Amino acid sequence: MGHGMTKNPRKKSHPSDGSEQTASKITRRDLLKAAGAAGAAALIPTSLKGASSAASPILDGAMRGSAAMPPGAPLMNLTARETEILAAMVDRLIPSDELGIGALEADALGYIDRTLSELGPDSVESYRTGLAALDRYSEYTRGARFIELSERDQDSALIDVQTGGASGAGVGFVGSSGSFFNMVKSHTWQGTFGDPHYGGNREFAGWDLIDYPGVRMRVTEEDQEQLEAEELEPERRSAYELAMFRTGRPR
Amino acid sequence: MRARRPIYLCAALLAVGSVMELSAQTPSTFIVESPTMRTGEMMPRKYSPDGPNLSPPLTWRGLPAETRQIAVICQDHGAGNPPPWVHWIIYNIPGNAMGLPEGIPFESTDPMPREITGATHGNNGWGLSMYRGPAPPRNSVHHYHFAVFALNTELDLPPGLTRNELLEAIDGHIIGEGHMMPIYERQPADQDTIPNNSIHGSWND
Amino acid sequence: MPRQLRSTDVVIVGMGAAGGVAVLPLAEAGLDVVGLEAGTWLDQRDFAPDEIRNNYRDWPMLVKKCENERPTSRATSATNANRVGGHPMMNAVGGTAVHYWAQSWRLNPWDFQVVSETARRYGRSRIPANSTVEDWPFGYDELEPYYDRVEREIGVSGQAGNVGGNLDLKGNRFEGPRKRPYPMPALRWTGFLETMADAAHSLGWHPFPGPAAINSERYDGRAGCAYHGFCSKGGCPVNAKNSPHLTTIPKALDTGNLRIVTQAHVTTLQMDGEGRVTGVNYVVGNEEYFQPAKVVLLACYTYENVRLLLLSRSSAYPDGLSNNHGQVGRHYFSHHQGAAVSALFPFDLKSWYGLPAQGVAIDDWADDNFDHVGHDFIGGGNLWVMSDRRPISAASMSTYGNGRNWGSGWKRFIRENADRSHSSYIQKTTLPYEDNYLDLDPTVTDELGLPVIRITAQFKQNERAIAEFTQNRMEEWYREAGAIEVVRGGLGNSMGISTHAYGGTRMGHDPGTNVVNPWSFSHEAPNLGILGASVMGTSGARNPTLTSQALAWRSAAHLVENWEDVSG
Repeated sequence: MGHGMTKNPRKKSHPSDGSEQTASKITRRDLLKAAGAAGAAALIPTSLKGASSAASPILDGAMRGSAAMPPGAPLMNLTARETEILAAMVDRLIPSDELGIGALEADALGYIDRTLSELGPDSVESYRTGLAALDRYSEYTRGARFIELSERDQDSALIDVQTGGASGAGVGFVGSSGSFFNMVKSHTWQGTFGDPHYGGNREFAGWDLIDYPGVRMRVTEEDQEQLEAEELEPERRSAYELAMFRTGRPR
Repeated sequence: MRARRPIYLCAALLAVGSVMELSAQTPSTFIVESPTMRTGEMMPRKYSPDGPNLSPPLTWRGLPAETRQIAVICQDHGAGNPPPWVHWIIYNIPGNAMGLPEGIPFESTDPMPREITGATHGNNGWGLSMYRGPAPPRNSVHHYHFAVFALNTELDLPPGLTRNELLEAIDGHIIGEGHMMPIYERQPADQDTIPNNSIHGSWND
Repeated sequence: MPRQLRSTDVVIVGMGAAGGVAVLPLAEAGLDVVGLEAGTWLDQRDFAPDEIRNNYRDWPMLVKKCENERPTSRATSATNANRVGGHPMMNAVGGTAVHYWAQSWRLNPWDFQVVSETARRYGRSRIPANSTVEDWPFGYDELEPYYDRVEREIGVSGQAGNVGGNLDLKGNRFEGPRKRPYPMPALRWTGFLETMADAAHSLGWHPFPGPAAINSERYDGRAGCAYHGFCSKGGCPVNAKNSPHLTTIPKALDTGNLRIVTQAHVTTLQMDGEGRVTGVNYVVGNEEYFQPAKVVLLACYTYENVRLLLLSRSSAYPDGLSNNHGQVGRHYFSHHQGAAVSALFPFDLKSWYGLPAQGVAIDDWADDNFDHVGHDFIGGGNLWVMSDRRPISAASMSTYGNGRNWGSGWKRFIRENADRSHSSYIQKTTLPYEDNYLDLDPTVTDELGLPVIRITAQFKQNERAIAEFTQNRMEEWYREAGAIEVVRGGLGNSMGISTHAYGGTRMGHDPGTNVVNPWSFSHEAPNLGILGASVMGTSGARNPTLTSQALAWRSAAHLVENWEDVSG
């Protein structure tokens, strides 16, 4: 091939038989978990729900946010009552389970709160209106406040909010209930999978879940080959820990 | 609200007719009923997002003796682009099942009720493998067509089929079918319908 | 009263991809040039690899002029225009080239001669009804020297496919003959890109690496690409993305003949009674200025070029500058880039690093590169497969019909599949039509109270037919490479606001159907030049930036050679 094109000898590690690949992939991930537990814990945080003491250095200071915040603690922009509804919703969107901690433990709430401070009163109002409507919708259709519903009923109610069915129920969603759902979902994803600089993605839980190999200033041809050979160690740091961008808030 | 004429019935039968044409044999007709719903009458709120959105119960009788498996589609011929909008698809139902119980689990990880062990959800119009009930535009009445197909063979269909994929998969195996078509109109909450323990008073705390 | 500034030879409105290139030949020729730019200077330290800021918050620290002016849009004149979404472009020295994908294609020869070539091969009746498409006033060969010059001045990497008529099958066999190879080799490929190239070969197609204004190796004192994965809508922290703010603009400043005014918000152009332009009115903060000039070059984005002409009225131009033939805003179209195809593979693609400009192209189904006798459309699409993935967008991927996109079930899905999805990029021939146009919105204004542009445009049968045809080809390619699920977007309807907006000030011989002459100077106001894709009459099936830069260089060179004639 011509210049600049590397013929990667390892690409044959992609077998054409998908089932075989799936099986070997799970094994690899199991091994990765085991390796993490055995000693590479600093590189591969494997903490599950409740193990918040294993915070990485980046979570100190401004990054820490509401480290010990239990669901229901007030945020800057929402009341305690609104916060507990939002917490319950976020907890259903990305729950904590055997695959790792969820959005709540990753502090997507803290991320949302900071985001609301930046976006301003209109966005805060969208949250307040939507959360109130979600609670009324739960009462009207399932006979209890959202936080009091079983997980199954919470999920069922959220599906109706997502698909727009809740918007016809006269409980106060502005426009389609799906718009409110998508707004919260989008922010929850940002707060779980985004750069920890913004206060979410605590312990890099989001990046661990999807095996993101991390922020690097330069990815060499050798790095890419190692990635494809499953030999590249993941980086776990914020972009703003890189020397060039250490000045603080993004400009 | 009292019953209105099911104006979409003709369209529904035409849609079924196209399936029949594809089939090698003419299917017989059997009876589909529900303990809680009737053709032309309002569905209870609990089967819609004005309630807990439970899947409704169905019963059937008079199926062909050779029935080995059953498939069910719930669709709205007055919605969707192109119509119909699909609310529910469930198949791989054992041939000896007498109907579907109310409130079938919507999570694929939850087991199906014993009497329909092996049943599988297909993908509805929202791309979800579950029942989601009627939510027509405010102040309009829509008709919800429950179509039940008796099949002469045990198909092991994968989960998540769309309506067209299912119809293609069961083509040639349909030996009987039954229909019912209740209606629904949104029943939005007002001050009276929200329970007394509502958070209204304390919302801005 | 605006403050009257000292007159200059040339004032250029907009220091983006086109204006930022035109400054160099002008300044090198010794002309005094003033560049007006609404944005500010940005540098490497502004370009942290930060998905939230780049891709979800739209660079909140930027000057937001384009955002305040974002057009309204509607599919046809029978519907109301709405303002949906943000403006995809940015204000800065370098313009959107600061953070663009930097794919730097030359158009293929067919794109310059759509009408005559279609008539010759298939008959004139194959030109779609109501299309206003014309041949360009010149062919590919006329633009080749300027493509060549710009590729070297800014730095473009790529694999040549046709050097002086000699085909090199590692490159694009369908490209027009080039004088020389690219100044840099193509960006490298990943294992997945090799897999896709192999699949294309087994289908009998001709895969090749695409060209990019990105350094594949050290070039002109700047580093090679870092492949770090934050290139899409991201500036380059190692200065390997060859925006004019790193290339042509610094060289022009070095001559001492270019002065750039940042945060300059141009409101109107000024004309005299004879119909010549006399200069430019602009605002910085609350201060108003008038910059007199012998020649004005309008080098904003398509929407803003058209808008400034329509906002600038005088007794000589009652319907807007250079609009006495009613052609400003006409022949508008935006590239059909939608109708996407995405695929799920049963293996990890290892696509976390790379950039949108790093990829495999297929040109077999573009332009007139295949026989259209059995088809109901003309033109086609370029298929593009790239390596580009970031965590939030990866976690937001389609579940390909495998359940809802949140909850524990989704978590299992995403754990397995976050790196197994791919979305292709298919750029399709898009034509101008009688009823697709730009004008001023009757009600919506910017913060100065000036009307914004209203887009009235929809894709027609030809574009939708290409979309379906290329979706079929793309699915074929994915399946050949082992995809287990393939999903498709809709075929397209309303054009909406676009990063590839063409026309509105089209270039051509006939003043009755074109705003500017073959040198991109106004048919009506002889000392007004217009730069950018707004002068292009066809899109081809590839990104417009390099072509608009080659055209800008050509116009600037023409101005230098004919200074007395043009400046009067």
